[in-house]
This record gives sequence, C-alpha cells and structure tokens, in this order.
Amino acid sequence: MKKPLRLLSLFCLALCLLSCSSKSRLVGLFIYDEQDPFIEAFARQIVTDSKGLFSVQEYDAGGSQLIQNQQIDSLLKRKPALVMVNPVDRLGAFAIVRRLKAADVPVIFFNRQPLQDDIELWNRTYYVGDRAEQSGRFEANLVMHLFGDNPKKLNEYDRNGDGVIQAIILKGEQGHQDAEARTNEVLRCFAERGFKLEILAVRIADWSYDEAYTKMGRLLAQYKDRIELVISNNDAMALGAIRRMREGGFFADIDANGHVDRHGRSWVPVVGIDGLPEAIQSVKNGFLYGTVKNDSDTMARSMVNLARAVIADPADPQPLPVLQDGHYLWVDYQPFVAQE
Amino acid sequence: MPRRSPSIRRTVFAITLGVVSVFLLASSLVSMAVFSSIVSESVLAQAREINKQIVMNFESYASNIIETANTIQYASASLDVDRDASALSELYRVDTETKKDVIAVYLFDQEGRLVAGEGINPGLYPQPKARQWFISAMQRGDIYNFSSRGESSIARGREEEVIDLSRKVSFTRDHNAESGVLLVELNYDVITDLARRTNLGQFGHLLILSDKGDLLYSSEAGPERMTALSAPIAAGMYLGEKRVSLAGTDMFINVTTLTPTRWLIATVSNINALKVAMYRLGALLIAIFLLSIGVSALVAALHSLSVSRPINQLISAMQLVESGDFSTPVVATGPEEIIALSDSFNTMVRKVQELMLTLVGQQRDKRKLELQMLQNQINPHFLYNTLDSIVWLAERERNADVIQTVVSLARFFRISISKGESFIPVADEISHVSNYLTIQRIRYGDRFVYSIRIDEALKDLKIMKLVLQPLVENAIYHGIGEEGGEIGIEGRLEGEAMYFSVRNNGYGITETRIQEMYQSMRGEAGHKSVGIRNVYQRLKLYYGEAADISISSILDESTTVTLKIPRQVPEEAS
Repeated sequence: MKKPLRLLSLFCLALCLLSCSSKSRLVGLFIYDEQDPFIEAFARQIVTDSKGLFSVQEYDAGGSQLIQNQQIDSLLKRKPALVMVNPVDRLGAFAIVRRLKAADVPVIFFNRQPLQDDIELWNRTYYVGDRAEQSGRFEANLVMHLFGDNPKKLNEYDRNGDGVIQAIILKGEQGHQDAEARTNEVLRCFAERGFKLEILAVRIADWSYDEAYTKMGRLLAQYKDRIELVISNNDAMALGAIRRMREGGFFADIDANGHVDRHGRSWVPVVGIDGLPEAIQSVKNGFLYGTVKNDSDTMARSMVNLARAVIADPADPQPLPVLQDGHYLWVDYQPFVAQE
Repeated sequence: MPRRSPSIRRTVFAITLGVVSVFLLASSLVSMAVFSSIVSESVLAQAREINKQIVMNFESYASNIIETANTIQYASASLDVDRDASALSELYRVDTETKKDVIAVYLFDQEGRLVAGEGINPGLYPQPKARQWFISAMQRGDIYNFSSRGESSIARGREEEVIDLSRKVSFTRDHNAESGVLLVELNYDVITDLARRTNLGQFGHLLILSDKGDLLYSSEAGPERMTALSAPIAAGMYLGEKRVSLAGTDMFINVTTLTPTRWLIATVSNINALKVAMYRLGALLIAIFLLSIGVSALVAALHSLSVSRPINQLISAMQLVESGDFSTPVVATGPEEIIALSDSFNTMVRKVQELMLTLVGQQRDKRKLELQMLQNQINPHFLYNTLDSIVWLAERERNADVIQTVVSLARFFRISISKGESFIPVADEISHVSNYLTIQRIRYGDRFVYSIRIDEALKDLKIMKLVLQPLVENAIYHGIGEEGGEIGIEGRLEGEAMYFSVRNNGYGITETRIQEMYQSMRGEAGHKSVGIRNVYQRLKLYYGEAADISISSILDESTTVTLKIPRQVPEEAS
C-alpha cells in the first residue's frame, strides 16, 4: 500500500519540478564583492523588492571575474528566468552575454557598465545604472551655485578674490571609467559656463577614505592657504579629506554655536558623490558642502520592474520601462546640500 | 497425478543464487555510481583548480601590466610633454629597462606623430594611424586594448613578436590639453612563459581567444592537432565548462574571461584518467561480481546438496524396501530433521519386518497343521480298506494271511505314529512301505510283485516320514492292471541328496499328463494327484528348494516318480 503512494508523491514532485522549470521564476543575482557595503546594501534592496515576484538566488564573486563566470555557468543548469549581473570586470561582459544568449536567459547588468558593443550583442541584454557624467555635472552645478552662479563675478568663496577657483581633485582609480568620466565632466561643465579653475593638484586616492586622508596631508602641507575647493570622485574620499583638514585646523566653529561656520577662512567647500549615510550626516553637520546622491532605492526598484516585465508571462504582460536604445535604463542622480 | 514442484535441491540453489545475484548486482551498481560521482567530482575539481591557478597567474600578470600602463598614463597626463619631455622619456626608459616584458613605450598624438619615447624605427613604422592598436585605442577610449598576435616590435634593434597594449590618453603639450595614444609593447614570450608553467596532462593545452572567438594563442606544441578540435568548441562555449572527447581522449574544457582584457582563456585538461579509472573499476566490479556469483553458486550447490543428499539417500533406501529388502538400514547424515526422519523410517522398517516374519511364521505353522491333518485323513480310508480285506481273508479262513495282514497293519501304524516324530530313519520308512505293500499284495491277491533296493548307507539317515507310501499307493492304483504288474522301489545316496524312485510297469502316462501333475503338485491348477501333491508340499515346506519330485514315463512300459531329499534333516524340524 505504501509503494503506490510513494510513487504517486514522486510523480507529483516531478510534475511540480517540470512545471516550475518551464515557468521558472528563479532570478540569479551576481554581485562583484559583498565586502563592498554599497553593493551589499543594494543587493538587499533588490531581494526585498523582489519578494512575491520571483525567488532571488544571490552569488558573491569575491572580486574575481573567474569565480563569477563559474557561478553564472553553474546557475544556468537550473534554468533561471533571468540574471542580474554586477560584473567584476566590465570588459569580460561579452562572454557572459554570449553565454546567456546561447542559453536564452536575459540579463540585466548593473553598477558596472559593460561596453556598448557587448550590450548590443543581444536584444535581451539590459543595463540599469546612472550616468557618471550626470554625477559630474551635478557636482559642478553645486559648486558653481555656491560660487554665485556668475563666472564673471565670484562671491566671497573666492577667498583670494582673483576670479579663479584654486581646486584640488581627488580621483578614484586611475583609468577607471567612472573616475575619468566624473572628472572630465566636472571640468567640462566649468569650462562650458566660463568658470576659471586652477587645478592645484590631481591625486589618485582609489576611492578610499584612508588613501584620501593620507594624500590630503601632503596637499595641505603644500597648498594649505591657497585651497578654495576640493572636488572628490566619491564621498568616501571626500570624508577622508575632511578628516585630515579638520586636523589641520579647517572647519572651525568660530562663534562656538556647535555648528561649523561657513563664513570664515577655515571653511573650504568639499563635494562628493554617492550620498552615503555618513556623507549626508556630514552635510547636515556642516562639514561636507554637498554630495550627489546615487539613488540606489530607485535603481533597485527599476531593476525589479524591468526584470518583471522582461520575464512576464505573455498572458499577463507587464509594462516595459522606457529604455534608451532598447537596452539602457538610466536612473537620475540627486544633488544633496544642506538647507540654508 | 498432482503437478510436481521442482526438486528441493534446485529450489534452494535457484533461490540462494537469485538473491545473491540481485543483491550483488544492486550493490555493484550503487558502488559504481557512488564511486564514479566521487571520482569524477574530484578529477573535475582538480581540473577546475588548475584552471583557476592558470587564469589567476595570467590575471595577475595582466593586472601588473595594466598598473604599469596606468602609472605611465598618469605620468603622461601630469607632465607637460614639451617642458618635461626628457623626464617623460626617462620614465618610459626606466619602465622599459626594469620590466623585462616591456619592450618599448611610446606616446603618439592624434595624428600618429611620436610625442615621447625613444628608439623608434621609423622605417618599420611609417603609418601608426593605420595600425590596429591605434584605431582600437581611438575607438574605445575608455579601455586598454590588447592586440592580437603577429606584430613585430617597432623599436630599433628589436625584432621580438609583441602584444600591443594601447589606450587613448590625454596629455598636456605647451599648456594645451591634447589626446593621443599610449602604446606599450609587451614581449609575446610572456604568454609562452606563463603557459609553460601549466600542467594539463598529455594533450592538455591552453588557448587564448579574442572576444570574437579567434584563436590568439595555443600552448600546444607542434602542428596543433588538438587545438584544431578544441578551439572551435571553446569559442562556442564563451564561458563555462564542458567534457568532450577529442580524438578519443577525454578532455575537460574550461573557458573564462581574462581580466582585465577582452580575451577568453581556455584550459583543455586531460581527464582520460577518469575514463581509465572507470574502466578499471568496472572491470574490478565485474570480476568481483562473477567471483561472488561463482562462490555463492558453489555454496548454494553444497548447501542444497546437504539438504537433498540425505533425502535422496532416504529415497533410495525406501526404494530398496519397496523392492523387498528390509535388511539394509538407512544411514543418513545431515540436518537433524533428516536424521530424525531416517531414524523413524528405520524403526518403521524394523517393525514392518518383525510383523512380516511373525505373519510368515504363523502362515507356515498353519500350513503344517493343515498338511498334518491331510496326512492323517488318508489313514482311516486305508484302515477301512485293510479291515475290509482282513474280513474277506477271515471269511475264506486264510488265517496265515489274516495274521500277516494284521501284523503288517500294526507295524504300519506304529511307524505312522512314530511317537509323534516327523523325521524317522530311512529303514523305518522303508519298513513302513514294505508293510503297506505286504497288506496290499494280500488284498490284491498277489496280482503284482515288488522289489525294494536301498543303499546300506541310507538306512541310518533320517527322512521325513510317510513320503514314500503315497507314491507307492499311486503306483498300485494306476500301475497295476488286471494282468498284474511290478513295483520297483530304489533308494540311493548321491552326494548330499537322497534319491528315492518308485517305478511301475503300467501303460505309462503322456507328457501332457506329467505337466498337469507338476502343476497340481505346485497347487497351481486342478486337484488331482492329491497324494503326490501332499508329499510335494510337505517336502517343500520342510526342506525348501533342495527337495524336489520328478516324474518320468515311457509309454506302454513304465512310470517312475523320483524324490530328491537332502541328506540333512532341516534344522528347524529337528
């Protein structure tokens, strides 16, 4: 009596598995390194937003494209409906796209933008992200606004009154796509509006708080009284620089009201990008002048919506978000400064 | 007849062997599956690990080169090529000298004119703008471009095959920002060096493919026979792993990207050892399987034999009993049930035998009694006739004959009784017959004569009493006619047997009649010749096969009945 029952239950299980695989709601989420708090938080957000829509299987490549490739290859055996890939090495994306095209599994890349050629290898390849140029432009706009929006007549923040802004640039990684794009775009915007900028120094600080702290020490020794602006490619380096500057006597609370005073020689505008919680807090405390928020909540939601539309059952279609060139979904940055 | 089940032996054998076979087969298959998954997992894991090491070596090298290139690029961007030209060239020269893989470093402007770098050979390099590395760098401004193979160095005095690493960079010339192309020439041999450190087994090799899938490099020595097979497969895989058979050899292809280039790197490892291990295991399992089957067949056969042999012994013993042999007891060995069975059987046979002997004894006693009674029946008849003749003689006043007749009758009866003895001396038996003949001769009025010739040696031997008189009585009744006749009685000893013959000279009898008489004697048919049959039966009863009666006759001449009697009195009767 037991045998037929067991057979029956096995049969049901097989049937269920079959039906599950034919209408898979499995989504692979591949992140480049969970040690990166931003990415880890972003992955959490995607998992939260996906609840009830599809089951997300998360993989951490630990900073190795080799491992990520293996992870993608092994997940394909389980026939996922879609994969979301935060590539370790954006140059290797072509192999991922070709592999997924062969398996007919659509892919959404995020956080690191693959080459356009690679994205265009297949019409079911998508990229959700922000535009590095936009963050640079917003960063430049914040600065220009602070200096009075008039290149002909800079306001009091041109401390030496020479009509030129003496600036230090903290770059992320040398050769990094975003570092180059942000830096170039900031400089381009200043030039476009006619603001004169004297770049005292460009320093590579590898996106790192500690690296920026160290490098800022030497810069202060060299340029201490001439610095009128610090432009950073991200918040972490901006915060590291501020820490070193505070140790060097900057950001004094002149009237001792518990709040940093802008209207003194000791306050120098520092701008960052990303909108980290620490950076927001620093802006509120009056140290960091402003940041450009990387709107990760909106981005996560956009990715989930896109994924939902891409793998939707034809019987129950979901609206596909507006895509640029059929591949790109751009999420806007948001400038953040303290309310005066 | 009920349907017969197969024999116990066959059943025990078949069941034992069947059960063992099924379990062996199942366990063989399970261990094969388990072993194969463990072994293949470990072999593949090893192949993956080797692949990982190789790729990491290449990656770390590539990252190193990129770092160098970044430093150069950064320096190029920071220094003014006009004002700091010598410093820049010095930096390039230092990089070239300290890094043995770097053959030369050059910076070109947008038009392909050399901006920095030493030792270029213009003759070898008339048109940088038309070269692939220049075009790629300008097209993809944001990445490092690695060229394919086959380019030679453009440096003076260097002829090595190189890989061109190029990138669009910005630099300042005379305070103006410009863009151009940075070219780092790498010695192609580095790939060969890195590849040489790999161990992918026989026929194993390493491939580097472009992002289009074109073969850039293969570590296979010689005519690249395997590469011709593996490269298209690797190019079609893009990334991931696959087990394939290349020219009969099992290979494990592992394709991944080579960070931070646009290349694919594929390792093709020899995992033929896996197949060999599987074959070996298969052969071993089959050998174990066959051996086990053989052993269990033997054990099953012996076991079934140990059950069936005692039973078969029992069966043949029973067949002996069936054919009448009760004397051989069954000696069974084996399980105690069988021994108990054979013991019971033996007891039963013994009981049956006892019962049979009792029955036989009872039957013989009964028969003796019957014959005794038959023998006694004759006497009144004879007595009546004799008394009748005595009366007849007395009426004629033949006193002498009366006296002789009465005396003879008295002797006749005394011997007949013989104090109840069944066996008497031959002399007494002869005396008995001669008394009888004397009486009959008087009664028949001397119509016949008789003669008695007995060997002296016979006289003291003992014989069953009253065997001759019925024959003589027959001879008188059938052999003496109106014209008279002769009765001849002879006795002789031949070896262990005594022969007594009674002959008359009557008409004789036919052979058919003789056969009828034999049948009658044996009690098979007819009830004639009662006297002779009685004698025959008694002889057989007491003496057994050794005693016999034969009849012979010559027509119109004589008839002779011969008794054959063992010399020895049967023990049972004495």
